[in-house]
Amino acid sequence: MTDRFEVPSGLKKTGLVLSLIGIITLIAGAVCFLGKHEETGLVRFWMGLMQNGIFFLFMAISSIFIQAAAGLAQGGWIVAYKRVPEAIGANVWVFGLLVLIILFSMIFGLGDHNPIYHWVNPHGDKVLEGKSTFLNKGMFIGFSVAAVGLWSFFGRKFRSMSIAQESAPKNSTKLYWKTVSLAGAFMVVYGLTMMSTTPWMWIMSIDAHWYSTLFSWHVFAGAFVSGMALILLWTVYLKNQGNLVLVNKEHIHDLGKFMFAFSIFWTYTWFAQYMLIWYGNIPEETTYYNKRQNGPYSFLFYLNIVVNFVGPILILMSRPSKRNYFTVVFMAMIIIFGQWLNLYLLTYPGPSGHNWNISWYEMGIFAGFAGVMILTVSKTLTKSDLIPHNHIFLKESVVHLS
Amino acid sequence: MHLKYESFIREPLVDGNKTYKDVTADICRPIEQKPSKLWYFGLVVSLLFLGFGAFSVFWEVYWGIGVWGINHTIGWGWDITNFVWWVGIGHAGTLISAILLLFRQHWRTGVNRAAEAMTIFAVMCAGQFPIFHMGRVWDAMYVLPLPNTRGPLWPNFNSALLWDVFAISTYFTVSLLFWYSGLIPDFATIRDRAKTKLRKRLYGLASFGWTGTAKNWQRFEALSLVLAGLSTPLVLSVHTIVSFDFATSVIPGWHATIFPPYFVAGAIFSGFAMVNTLLILVRKIYHLEEYITMGHIEAMNKVIVLTGSIVGIAYLTELFMAWYSQVVYEQEAFKWRVLGPYWWSYWAMMTCNVVSPQFFWFKKLRRNIVFSFILSIVVNIGMWFERFVIIATTLYRDYIPSNWSYYSPTWPELGFYLGTFGLFFTCFLLFSKYFPVIAIAEIKFVLKTTGDKAHEDNLALEEKSLEEFIHIAEHAH
Repeated sequence: MTDRFEVPSGLKKTGLVLSLIGIITLIAGAVCFLGKHEETGLVRFWMGLMQNGIFFLFMAISSIFIQAAAGLAQGGWIVAYKRVPEAIGANVWVFGLLVLIILFSMIFGLGDHNPIYHWVNPHGDKVLEGKSTFLNKGMFIGFSVAAVGLWSFFGRKFRSMSIAQESAPKNSTKLYWKTVSLAGAFMVVYGLTMMSTTPWMWIMSIDAHWYSTLFSWHVFAGAFVSGMALILLWTVYLKNQGNLVLVNKEHIHDLGKFMFAFSIFWTYTWFAQYMLIWYGNIPEETTYYNKRQNGPYSFLFYLNIVVNFVGPILILMSRPSKRNYFTVVFMAMIIIFGQWLNLYLLTYPGPSGHNWNISWYEMGIFAGFAGVMILTVSKTLTKSDLIPHNHIFLKESVVHLS
Repeated sequence: MHLKYESFIREPLVDGNKTYKDVTADICRPIEQKPSKLWYFGLVVSLLFLGFGAFSVFWEVYWGIGVWGINHTIGWGWDITNFVWWVGIGHAGTLISAILLLFRQHWRTGVNRAAEAMTIFAVMCAGQFPIFHMGRVWDAMYVLPLPNTRGPLWPNFNSALLWDVFAISTYFTVSLLFWYSGLIPDFATIRDRAKTKLRKRLYGLASFGWTGTAKNWQRFEALSLVLAGLSTPLVLSVHTIVSFDFATSVIPGWHATIFPPYFVAGAIFSGFAMVNTLLILVRKIYHLEEYITMGHIEAMNKVIVLTGSIVGIAYLTELFMAWYSQVVYEQEAFKWRVLGPYWWSYWAMMTCNVVSPQFFWFKKLRRNIVFSFILSIVVNIGMWFERFVIIATTLYRDYIPSNWSYYSPTWPELGFYLGTFGLFFTCFLLFSKYFPVIAIAEIKFVLKTTGDKAHEDNLALEEKSLEEFIHIAEHAH
């Protein structure tokens, strides 16, 4: 039994067209926004790139995280479609590289008065000067390069070890235990980057005075739920192409449960942060939410909760809906949009203020990244059999009951 | 029928080539035998502790809260520390029974019954502290929002302390229901094996006339799932709301948004440690090593290293943010925690909670009984210090230096705490004598998948190719 995937010309075309839209948007954006030498245009140009880039990167890293989590917990359920998170994880470096280019350009290329990262030059701001041991160009480069480098390494390593298992002797457990160790090591890296320093540096430092201890866990929750949605989209797509023959409703049900549970976990972190700041009512802290809840972002602020909480909890609650291909695919798209919106609200309001847009530029850049995702992941998927024949848990995945 | 198969790499969860009959006999044995001398000794010691606790509480109620060491600056001391500590311990049971049920983790079957019992007893202990902290304990009913003749006098619904009353009483109720409904078929088993009339009568009453029909089982399973669904948010909400007791304030060191998830992780951490402490003893004393295997203990040790590390990230995040905030009060609060006169409690917390669980990265240590036992106690010492650090060592440096204070407990506070240990172990010893400490029905349910015999039978399946295996699975009956 073999299960090879060949990129259908339709998918390849879609990927190319989307990438092309991205490139055209980028050029058009550069002409429209950078030409006039106005701060609003400059901010819009870079924010569009940065928010979309980070969104896709974080979503992709979740694929490494779920491999590590399932590895440590000895999860057999994921094995039937294991190649999907492997392929996404192995391409983290592409998005990592793009994000590094964008971020470093923003740190170095926006002049003396950085309109997005105010801390680049504190200009006598006592608070920012106090933070400068952490928030400075050197630390930013160091932390960012280390994080992206490590994620890229682990993403590729998980896949290559999984492929190597195919040529190992039948029922050999050597590589299995090695993967478990690798998963442990990744968890440490993940805890020190994604669950702490990276979101502080890249996102929280946009509102450079403000701080919240929960911030990174909140970002992690959003990244993880959108990452599971992405895995689901790829899995159902491959299934529709006649691949992934071992995958059935039981496996889809699992992914549906993850989307349901972690949408609620995301809401939990959202609410914990919001409620405690509201209740404490300390002006230095509430200013963050005041900017978002009142004024031009008000509609998006409430929409965020509807899309990421009300929708998933009502629609994914029942068992039949998590086992229905249409419903889960629809909800995965909703969740990806919702988490994109959440990241929009975490990043834009600080630098953009009243001049916010979700228009051709923001959507075009999104399309570009989506195109890159389609092209890279589909190419990786063609490189090996989609059934991990020699995996210790493959047979468990066959008889798996959700 | 579904093919019962499990990968050879998983270790069996029931050893000793058990049949259904063996399972019943082994688990019922402690109930049907006369208790050992050790059991009586344990019960007497526990009752002595309980008695001392009752006396300490009597002393406090009679003379008033002034007999405790708490003072104007440090208004919460050992009492609230112990309260949070016990509530935290009370998390593991329902987590194991509800969340691990939803996650289809078979290893929960060996430990869930004792863990749930532990939860209930721990919550009972926890509840004592806020009640007797009230001082005028006869006014305790004022926390309940009952229609009353007090005119417009209602509890303050804006207060996190009131949310606690609701959260914990709901949690207690649902945990109790969950635990008891699981016990029903097992009570019926004991009833059917009973040799005396009284025994038959009492266990018959306790089992609600369970007859084991298909309809009985169907309703039982439906109820389990409903209760699991209800308990899952409760596991998370209880400690979340306990964390609100602190985090809704504006006190530096308490007002932190990370508190809710970090409290939940800490609670699971301490709860699993306590489950390990108890089960390592239970399996030894009642000879249940074949049901509570090394694999079970290792699984719990893995949860301990995971949650310990999550808590570690939270500690470091708090510390970092205190500096990063550039708010002088935040910075001072943490400086006094780490380097002030109570420095030893901060470092005890760090060592026990963050450093010590890291040993469980090593398989050898995770599977070492003595080490696991010692570490499970170390973790709970650490978690006690965590609450002490959060409570006393945050309050003791007030905004005004003239309010600065120091606090040591007096004997009634100490006695109260020891008394809850007495209560806890009295309940647990009675439970382990009269109730099946392992869920008989649930072990039987997984025996044909995870028993060592089932694993041997499965070895033949491992040799089959994928196609053959799919064929077998499709035609399994």
